[in-house]
Amino acid sequence: MGKSNDPTKTALRFLEMFCPRKLYEGIEGDLLEQFYSEEKIIGSRMAGVRLWLAVFRFFRPGIILRNTFSLQLISIDMFRNYLTIAFRNVRKNKVFTAINVFGLGIGLAACFLIVQFVMFELSYDKFHDNYERVYRITNDRFQHGKLIQHGTIMYPTIGPAMAKDFPEVEAYSRLMPSGDLNVKADDRIFRGETCHFADEHFFYVFSFPFLAGDRTNALKERHSMVLSETTAKKYFQITDGNYKNAIGKVVYWGLDTQPYKITGVFEDIPENSHIQFDALVSYATLISPDEHDADDSWTWSDMRHYLLLKPGVNYKTLESKFEDFSQRHFQGDKVSGSVEKFFLQPLKDAHLYSDYEYDIAKTANGKAVWALLIVAGFIMVIAWINYINLTTSRALERAKEVGLRKVMGAFRSQLVKQFIFESVLISLFAFIVALLITYLAQSSFNQIIDGNLTWWMVFTNISTSSTLLIISILIVGVLLSGFYPAVVLSSYRPITVLKGKFQRSSSGTWLRKGLVIFQFMASVTLITGTIIVSRQLEFMNKADLGININNTLIVESPENTQWDSTFIERVESYKSELMEIPGVISATTSNNIPGARLGRAFNVRLGEQSESSNVTMSFLGVDYNWFKTYGVPLVEGRTFSTTDHNHDFEKLTNIVMNVSGIQLLGIKDPKDAIGRTVSFWGKTWTLIGVVADYHQQSLKRPKEAMVFFPAYSSYYPTSIKIQQSEIQNSITSIEATFKKFFPGNSFQYTFLEERFNNQYRDDNRFSTIVSIFTVLAIIISCLGLIGLSSYTALQRTKEIGVRKVLGASVVSIVSLLSIDFLKLILIAALLALPLAYYASVNWLETYAYRIGLGVIMFLAPVIAILFIAAITMSVQVIKTAMTNPGETLKHE
Amino acid sequence: MSKEYLGEFEELVLTMVGILGDEAYGNSIVNEIKERLGRESNLSAVHVTLYRLEDKGLVKSQMGGSTNLRGGRRKRIFTITNAGLAMLRAMKESRMDLWKLIPQLKIVGSI
Repeated sequence: MGKSNDPTKTALRFLEMFCPRKLYEGIEGDLLEQFYSEEKIIGSRMAGVRLWLAVFRFFRPGIILRNTFSLQLISIDMFRNYLTIAFRNVRKNKVFTAINVFGLGIGLAACFLIVQFVMFELSYDKFHDNYERVYRITNDRFQHGKLIQHGTIMYPTIGPAMAKDFPEVEAYSRLMPSGDLNVKADDRIFRGETCHFADEHFFYVFSFPFLAGDRTNALKERHSMVLSETTAKKYFQITDGNYKNAIGKVVYWGLDTQPYKITGVFEDIPENSHIQFDALVSYATLISPDEHDADDSWTWSDMRHYLLLKPGVNYKTLESKFEDFSQRHFQGDKVSGSVEKFFLQPLKDAHLYSDYEYDIAKTANGKAVWALLIVAGFIMVIAWINYINLTTSRALERAKEVGLRKVMGAFRSQLVKQFIFESVLISLFAFIVALLITYLAQSSFNQIIDGNLTWWMVFTNISTSSTLLIISILIVGVLLSGFYPAVVLSSYRPITVLKGKFQRSSSGTWLRKGLVIFQFMASVTLITGTIIVSRQLEFMNKADLGININNTLIVESPENTQWDSTFIERVESYKSELMEIPGVISATTSNNIPGARLGRAFNVRLGEQSESSNVTMSFLGVDYNWFKTYGVPLVEGRTFSTTDHNHDFEKLTNIVMNVSGIQLLGIKDPKDAIGRTVSFWGKTWTLIGVVADYHQQSLKRPKEAMVFFPAYSSYYPTSIKIQQSEIQNSITSIEATFKKFFPGNSFQYTFLEERFNNQYRDDNRFSTIVSIFTVLAIIISCLGLIGLSSYTALQRTKEIGVRKVLGASVVSIVSLLSIDFLKLILIAALLALPLAYYASVNWLETYAYRIGLGVIMFLAPVIAILFIAAITMSVQVIKTAMTNPGETLKHE
Repeated sequence: MSKEYLGEFEELVLTMVGILGDEAYGNSIVNEIKERLGRESNLSAVHVTLYRLEDKGLVKSQMGGSTNLRGGRRKRIFTITNAGLAMLRAMKESRMDLWKLIPQLKIVGSI
C-alpha cells in the first residue's frame, strides 16, 4: 500500500496530528465520505486537493483547543506492560543489549572525562570579581620593520603612563617576576617558593581572598611581603589556622640584611588561575630615591602590567589609541631602540590563547582544548549512531509484537512512545555504566593529563548555563537516537507482519550504510591523527638538537654566597674537584640552561655601524668549559679560555657568536667574522669565535641568534655531565662537594633532559589523549559493525542457503558477504583522507620544525581499518556461511 | 447553563439536527443546508458548531454505524435534547412576537 494509491493518506495523517482523539473518527469519516463522493464527480486529483483544503479549515481554535493537553507521556496503565516487555527484550537479546549499553556507556564516559577537562580549562580566572574588565598589556617590538619580540614583558612606566593618559583606565597594577625565594624565617632556610614583586593595586584588580592582613595596604610599604596559606604554614609552623600570628613577622632574603615584614596572608592560589605564586613582595621595594629605574625607566624591560578598565569601556577602542601613545612616549624607536606597539589581551584569553614570549602565565593550547571537545562530540555521535543501527537491525524481531499491538488498537504515537521509553531505559543503563567507568578511570585520566580533576571541582567552577547546555544536549541526544528506531519499528502494517511474510525492511538501508560510513570515517581520521601526532613527537624527542643534553645534572646556583673577587677561584676549584669524582665527565656554569628562554640583548651591532643597524640577539653567559661540556661544535676561531674571564664586568672584551648571530649582523662567511668588533650593552667587544647553531628551546621554536660572553655569577647554575652508569653514586659526591664550597646554600638538582622535555608536556598530553580516543572510536565502530553484519547475515540466510545448495563454497560466500562492507569502509576511508590531511596540516603549523607528510601516513590507517573491519566481520560472516542450507530453507 | 440565545448558524445547525433525527451528522447537515436553503457551508464550521451545541447541552451525540463509504469509520450521530427543543421553542416564540409587530409582515392567524 503505497502513497501513490491513496491520496488521502497524507492529509489524514496531518489531521491526526492536531485533531482530538475522541472526535477524530467522526471527522475523518465525514471527510472521506465527502472525498469519495467528490471523486466521482471531479476526479481523484481535484478531490484530493479539496480534501487538503478541508483539512486545513479544520485547523482552527474550535478544534485544536479541544485537545486535552495532558503531558501524559505514557499512561500509567501501560507503564508496567512496557517495562515488562522491555526487560523481556533485554533478556532475549543479552548480547545485543550488552553491546548497546556498553557502546553508549563508553561513549558517554569519554565525553564526561573530556567535558571535565574542557570545563576546567575554560574556567580559568573566572573567580575574579572584575573578570570582565581586566586586561594584560602586551608589547610587540619592531626593529628595521621586523618583529623581534612578541611578549607580555615591557618597561615599568607603561601601566602608570596609560592610567594617566587614558581616563578609561580605572586602575593598573604592575609586577616583576622574581623567581624562586631563598629566605630565612625563624632561623630556618627555605627555598623554592615562587615570588613576584607586585604593587599595592594588585589586590584591587584581582580578587584573591585574604586570610589575614589588609589587602589595600599590604603591599604599600617597601620590604613588605604577603604569603600564601601554605607558605605561611611552612615558614612559621602555623597549625591552628590563625594566620594573624604571621602578620608582623620578619624574614630575610638571600644575603640581604634588610628584613622583610609579613603584612598579609592570602588563600592559596587556585589551580585555575593564569598567574601562580606563593608570595608577593611590594613593588615599592624596587624603588628608592637613588634608584628609581623600576618606576620610571623607559628602557629596562622586565615588568608585566595589568589594566582594570571602567565598566562599559570597549577595549578595542582604547587599544586604537595606543599608536599615539607609542609615538608620544617613544617617538618611533628613539627612546628604546625599537618601535613599540601595545595591545590589550582580555583576561579571559590569558590562559588559552597566549603565545607570548617571557610569559609568566600558566598557558595551555586553546586549539587543543576545543579540538578535544570536538573529538568528544565525534565519539558521542558515533556511539548514538551505533545505537540507532543496532536497534533498527533488531527491528524484525519486534515486528509481530508491533502488528499485534496495532490490531489491539494501539495508536502509532503510543508505539513510538513505547520504543522511546525503551531507548530511555537503555540510555539510563548506559549512563550508570558511564558513571562507573568515569569513576574508575578518573585517576588514570588525571595522570595522563597531568591534572587534578574531580567532578566536584568541575561542578563548583562551572556556570549554570553550561550545565544546562550539557544536560539538554544529553536529553536531546537520547530522545533523538531513540526516535528513529521508534518510528521505524512503529511503522509496520499489522496485516503484513502477522501474515508471516515480513522478511525485510528495505527502507533505511541507505541511512544505515551512511551511518557506518560516518563512523569509520571518524575512525580513520582519528587513526591518521594519532599516527601523525606521535610521529611529530617522536621527531621532536629524537631530533638532533645540535647540543648534547643527555645525562646532565643541573645544580641550582649558590645564591647565598657572596659575589666577591674570590668567587671565581672558588668556582674553579669547585669545578676541578667535581671532575675528580669518578662518574663526572665535565662541569660548567652558565647563566641559563638549554630549554629555558634566554634573555635578550637589544641594540647589538658591528662596531663600525651606526645605531640604525641595531639587531637583537639572545645572550648567554658561560665559562670556558661550556662549549666542550655541551658538545657545541666550533665553526671558526676559538672558544673561551681561562684568560678571557674577569671578575670585573667592565674588563671583559671577548665574545663568541653562533652562525645565525653573525648572519644577522650581515656577515656571510664565518671566516670574516673573526676579529670584528661588536658593540652592545654600552661596550665594544671583540668576536673571537663562531659556533654552530643549536636548539636552545624546543623544536616548536626556530633556532635563535646567540651571543656568548665569558662570565661567572653566584646566580649561575652548574651543569654537570655524568657517565650513565655512575649517576646515583655521583650525586652523593657532588652534593658533598657543593656543600663544601658553598656552605649555607641548599643543594637542589634536576636532570636537564627532564626539564627540556617538559616543554613538550602539553603535546605529549595531547597525543596520549588523541590515541586513547582513537582506540575508543575504533572499538565503538567495530561494535557497530558487528551488529550490522550479523543483521545483514540474518537477512540473507535464505539467499545463502540457496547459493550453497547450488554449489557455492564457503569461501565464495564469505567474500560475497564481506565485499559489501569492505566497499563501505573504503568509501569511508577515502572521504576521511582530505579531512585528515587538512587537520594535520593545520596542527603541524604550530611547530617550527615539523615532519613532512608522507603518503604512507595516510595509507597505513586505511589498510589498518580494513584489516580491523575484516577481522570484526569475519566471525559473524563465517558463522553464517557455514550454516546448513537444510535448516534455513526449511520454512517457506 | 447557556445563554438565552444562540448565534444564527448555531440555531440553523440545531434546527437541522432536529429535522434529521437519526441521520444527523456532519455531512448530512451540510447537504441538508445546501438542499433546503441553497447555502454552502463548511464541514469544519458545522462540526465545530455541533460540538459547541453539545457543550451547551442542546444536543447529544454517540457513535453510529459505519459504512464502506467512509473507509470503515463510524459516524458521530447527533440528536437533539429536551433542552434543545425547549430552546428552539423559546426562540420561535420570541421571533414570532417580534415579527408580528411589523405591519408589512402580516402573519395569518396572529392577533
